[in-house]
Amino acid sequence: MKAREVRRSTAVLGALALVGLAGCTPGESSGGGDADGSGETEIVWAVGGARSQPGGANTRIADLWNEQNPDTPVRIEVLPEAADGAREQQALVLQAQGSEFDVLGLDVVWTGEYVENGWLASLEDVRPELEDDLLPGPLESASWGGELWGVPLNTNTGVLYYRTDLVDGPPQSWQEICDAGAIDGYHPYIGQGAKYEGFVVNWLELYWSAGGEIYNEDQSEVLFDPDLAAEVTTYMADALAGGCFAPGYNTAMEEESRNAFQQGDVVFMRNWPGPYALIEEDTESPAHGNTAVAPIPAFGDAGEGVAAIGGFNNAVSAFSEHPDLATEFIVWAATDMAAQEILAEDAVLPVLQAYYDEVPDDSLTAELGEILQSARPRPSVPQWSAISLAMQDALFPAYNGDADPAEAAQTVREFLDGTIER
Amino acid sequence: MTPSLAVMALVVLFPVLYAVYTSFQAYTRRQHEGFAGLANYQEVLGDSYFWDALWFTAVFTVTSVGAEFVIGLGFALIMNQGFRGRGVTRASILIPWVIPTVVAAQMWAFMFNVTPGFINSLFGLGDFNWLGQSGWATFAVVFADVWKTAPFAALLLLAGLQTIPAELYESARVDGAGPLQRFWHVTLPLLRPAILVALLFRTVEALRVYDLPQVMTGGAFGTESLSMAVRRYIVETPDPGLGSALSTLTFLIVLGVGVVFVSMIGKSVISEGSEER
Repeated sequence: MKAREVRRSTAVLGALALVGLAGCTPGESSGGGDADGSGETEIVWAVGGARSQPGGANTRIADLWNEQNPDTPVRIEVLPEAADGAREQQALVLQAQGSEFDVLGLDVVWTGEYVENGWLASLEDVRPELEDDLLPGPLESASWGGELWGVPLNTNTGVLYYRTDLVDGPPQSWQEICDAGAIDGYHPYIGQGAKYEGFVVNWLELYWSAGGEIYNEDQSEVLFDPDLAAEVTTYMADALAGGCFAPGYNTAMEEESRNAFQQGDVVFMRNWPGPYALIEEDTESPAHGNTAVAPIPAFGDAGEGVAAIGGFNNAVSAFSEHPDLATEFIVWAATDMAAQEILAEDAVLPVLQAYYDEVPDDSLTAELGEILQSARPRPSVPQWSAISLAMQDALFPAYNGDADPAEAAQTVREFLDGTIER
Repeated sequence: MTPSLAVMALVVLFPVLYAVYTSFQAYTRRQHEGFAGLANYQEVLGDSYFWDALWFTAVFTVTSVGAEFVIGLGFALIMNQGFRGRGVTRASILIPWVIPTVVAAQMWAFMFNVTPGFINSLFGLGDFNWLGQSGWATFAVVFADVWKTAPFAALLLLAGLQTIPAELYESARVDGAGPLQRFWHVTLPLLRPAILVALLFRTVEALRVYDLPQVMTGGAFGTESLSMAVRRYIVETPDPGLGSALSTLTFLIVLGVGVVFVSMIGKSVISEGSEER
């Protein structure tokens, strides 16, 4: 390289580095207040995901609020679509105790971590006005240490899909799935068995349905039962090896299981309600017109199946300059019928009990509302991501026949014991 | 220091040194808790997770680089022949290399998957679960990597082949050497620098593999690489101290392998130079 070229490329690199640095510094800070002197107090709602993109349900909810409250408008700060990315951006601001964000959109399992870091304002004061109106499961997902730290915005629940042309009705137990689904030319069951968070959710639904618990109510004591966990894992191992779980179960996430079910050679599927509409649209699919949704079955004779709750909560940043307004907004978003209906339009499950009272008894929504009554969240402990990974590391090989279920259950128990601070 | 060196130091050295610094710090849920000494390294080295990732990375590197080298050399020898349609052949061999890794990985994940099962239906294998069992999952990942990067090895080797003067082959032929002998005694020795460069590039890249196994298996069935382990501790768990210790170890491994190759390349260039004299 000639000297001039070296100088030129150095200049280019230098310029690139400067651009890079500029990209790292936060843009105009809109910490709220009367920044523009117009007398408006702006609330900033830092939330990720597809629904925060223009035209999404969250933006329409913000628009509805802004129509009714022109003096205290809400502005959405769009965070990355992937949950990890959104959490990273919120963490950057909160760690610096920044007041840029007033309302934080939280995945249901983040609550504990945020509370322990001192990033959230307590919402215990508004609990009474929420308790009567909202579904209990989602409300629990916003609690930590017996105190309320968030308000649910929408929820989601695991359900069992079944083929009405192949079986008479939904099975009552997991064992029945294997028996009823043993039809020539069909695989009985598909779910989310790949090694990721979704597998932990699927496993927990079995474990909960067998009567198992992870922690006591205020997460001060580990109630994880290694014997029951081993029993559940052994059932899965047998079901996979014996062909009850369709081949490909152990590499399937939501989309893969939907594909398998929609192709028509699987009798039962565990999934979220979202795929229902897609199957209804696909007139080519053998499952089209022959699919119904039922609660997750029970395990053994424990009684009732328990579904896992997904969904989204809103919380108020501990560093917000307008905590009262922010609280008012998130309570409104959960309890206002019009706001909740916007979510339902996007096939997202509302958290407002009154919404489910209004819908016809025989509709899918009514069925889902029923399932949601007994559904429960994963514990929102601060170490949840580490716990989830530990469960994946131990239980995934065990049900695939690469490790002993009893030892795997013991490993999980020991890891959970380590999460309790003594 | 010249400006270019300053920029290099800023861009390359700073993150490395910062990672080394971070690896000696203690964190709890990304909250800094003070100096940790060697605790993070102790924890990483005592964790079977690290050794599993190291094992997969080593297996992946050796098998995929080995296969890429053999296939790439074959491609290069074909492309080095004079024949009609050589341009088209060269271009088509390079297509896999042009496709972004994530796209290629997603494509092969679909191909190997049970549903819809393109490979299974193509070869009449029924419901064979390529990605869902130990051993075969590693095979699928290695296969996809070889498919994608053998053309790159071929490209580097072809460049080396084209520097070998045709007269050498002529005189070898006059001396009565057959095709195998010409390959063994003319092509391979003169190709040595190009071979080392190709192996260096591919080995270093294979050691830090992330996207292929992440997309194809998510690390299940023993296909978690060192880079995926680093991501686990920095983004998912998150413990920046532990993650930095792990990434520093990964860096040292890659650096060590790189140094070995570079010194071999240096030697081969020197010995070649002395032969010419």
